[in-house]
Amino acid sequence: MQSKLSDAQLIEQTLTGNQAAYAELVKRHQRFVFTLAMRYAKVREDAEEIAQDCFIKAYRSLASFKGQSKFSTWLYSIVYTTAMTFLRKKRVDTESIDDENNFVQVENQASAYDVNNAENKSRSFYLDQAIAQLLPDDAAIITLFYKGEQSLEEIAQAMGMETNTVKVKLFRARQRLKEKLERNLKHEVKELI
Amino acid sequence: MNNLEEKLWNFIDGNCTPEEQKAVRLLIENDAAAGAKYRELLSMNTAFAQMDLDEPPMAFTYNVMEAIRTENAQVPLKAAINKRIIRGIAVFFTLTLVTLLVLVFASIKWSGQGLPVSLTAHFKIPDINSGETKVVVQAFVFFDVMLGLYLFDAYLRRKRSAKDTKML
Repeated sequence: MQSKLSDAQLIEQTLTGNQAAYAELVKRHQRFVFTLAMRYAKVREDAEEIAQDCFIKAYRSLASFKGQSKFSTWLYSIVYTTAMTFLRKKRVDTESIDDENNFVQVENQASAYDVNNAENKSRSFYLDQAIAQLLPDDAAIITLFYKGEQSLEEIAQAMGMETNTVKVKLFRARQRLKEKLERNLKHEVKELI
Repeated sequence: MNNLEEKLWNFIDGNCTPEEQKAVRLLIENDAAAGAKYRELLSMNTAFAQMDLDEPPMAFTYNVMEAIRTENAQVPLKAAINKRIIRGIAVFFTLTLVTLLVLVFASIKWSGQGLPVSLTAHFKIPDINSGETKVVVQAFVFFDVMLGLYLFDAYLRRKRSAKDTKML
């Protein structure tokens, strides 16, 4: 019955002390929040920590959510700041999170891809693999745009950027994703997309 | 990045003005290369939209709720503090103070000379303009001003950080 309630109604119930309502909100958004955290952390354990931290922070400051935007947009902005803080802490030893070389390890795994297994693997597998090789911001923007049901304005809000910046970043992220797919799959990319 | 690909992506995303849409449509229909590029981008767009979301662990929701419980954050602040109670207390004290002031001023004989109450003979108002007392008073006022500035700064910082974190 509770699953029929809107996010706003669940938030209202949570604010009156109903924890089950918040559990419902977590269930509703956990997959996307976890995916977004994966885009930054690249490791499941770290992503789980980020996602969990994000839901706890959201719970603590739920009263400050004014409902002027979608709850998901507000939640994703928390994911973004939590993930950035996490990455900064983790890479405090001078490595830059904007450095594409930091993700070479994942890329090398991809290049070891066995062509003979291609038929056995789904389109989404290769897509996920290529997304994992992107820079965190690129991967997050692509995910927010295609799976988060977020407009460019909402993505800009969540990531604290200008709408035009997000637009340019999305354009470049798509180009890079296409390049990664082409590099990983060579000519099979035509059949994949 | 104002090239063909950008125009086509804007067209696919629906971020074009009606005029731009019309121009891109004409381009796709009349230019074979543009048409081919459009179809390629469109299929990419479809593929991107079909990406799967990662699945968190089975006990994820339970873990989140457990973490909230263990933090003793059972009720958000808004639910824990009823603003009406706070306002009620504020109104009570304000009324009490106002009533006391009214009673005090009402009991003063304004037409009379000198103080309305007779001070005892031994009572002496301290002289704040002389020697050590002056230094102490100045130090006290200085401390109060500094404390006031510090608290005001803390208040502004808190307000600013709340504005930053509140976001939306």
